[in-house]
Amino acid sequence: MNEDLLNILSNSNKDIDNQKLMDYLSDKLSAEEKHDFEKTLVDSELESDAVDGLYEFKNKKDPLMLAEELNQNLQKQLQKKRAAKEKRQIKDLRWLYFTIILIILIILIAFFVVWQYLH
Amino acid sequence: MQAEKYKHITDEELLQNFYKDHDNKWLGILLPRYTLLLLGVCMKYLKNEEDARDCVQQIFLKVINELQKYKVEYFKSWIYMIAKNHCLMKLRDQKKLPLELNEQIVAAENPVEKKDFVDKENLFEKMQQAISQLNPEQQQCVNLFYLQKKSYAEVAAITGYTMLQVKSHLQNGKRNLKLLMANFINY
Repeated sequence: MNEDLLNILSNSNKDIDNQKLMDYLSDKLSAEEKHDFEKTLVDSELESDAVDGLYEFKNKKDPLMLAEELNQNLQKQLQKKRAAKEKRQIKDLRWLYFTIILIILIILIAFFVVWQYLH
Repeated sequence: MQAEKYKHITDEELLQNFYKDHDNKWLGILLPRYTLLLLGVCMKYLKNEEDARDCVQQIFLKVINELQKYKVEYFKSWIYMIAKNHCLMKLRDQKKLPLELNEQIVAAENPVEKKDFVDKENLFEKMQQAISQLNPEQQQCVNLFYLQKKSYAEVAAITGYTMLQVKSHLQNGKRNLKLLMANFINY
């Protein structure tokens, strides 16, 4: 009992995994697991609010399916951004090559003119 | 699965990697860890599944843009603040929240706990003293939840409070206990 008294103020630093979260919502956890899970909720506003919101879904499978869909959309978004960034980098490189070639040409022309003048 | 492959990498490490090379692949590993939680938060405030889904997508976009601009130290607290602010702004736009919002999105810091060395016996006494100074509702909930290891539902059934009230009493009770203990230790 004394240890429990001291442990009230300790923070639960465990991150909740999605499966445990869904099991909690579906009331599949044992009493001890439930209590441990709820101790994490006391310490985390994010997880506490999330649980409140997830309870509102009519079908408990819906949030997982929606989350999966959102994750897939997210990956597509990130790939698009990466592709756009690579395209910009290639464009920048093309300008760089063009500039280098131009400078080399100018140097060659200048060299040729000077050589002609000297001879 | 990508998530399983990078499970051992913490949020902080993923962020550090992102800041080093600005490769969005790190965000592609970090953000999905929070999708279900964000969905829950958005659903809590918006009370509509479609709106909650759209909101999470918008939050992702916002997070990706904001992370390019400044460094974030405590990602979990920060993304929670972004999500909550975004939901409240949506409610305000829908005229469901008449209050003026003062939105400040900062990289939130977790409070650092000081480890003070006080002998255990003294600490027990102080804790008991602190609990007795809580208001009756908080005292009752703290005793039932932490000392008798009851679940939220059981505490609610015993006390007659709603689940929300139980959560609130526990969160406020714990916060007040920390403050009381900090005062006892300092003086």
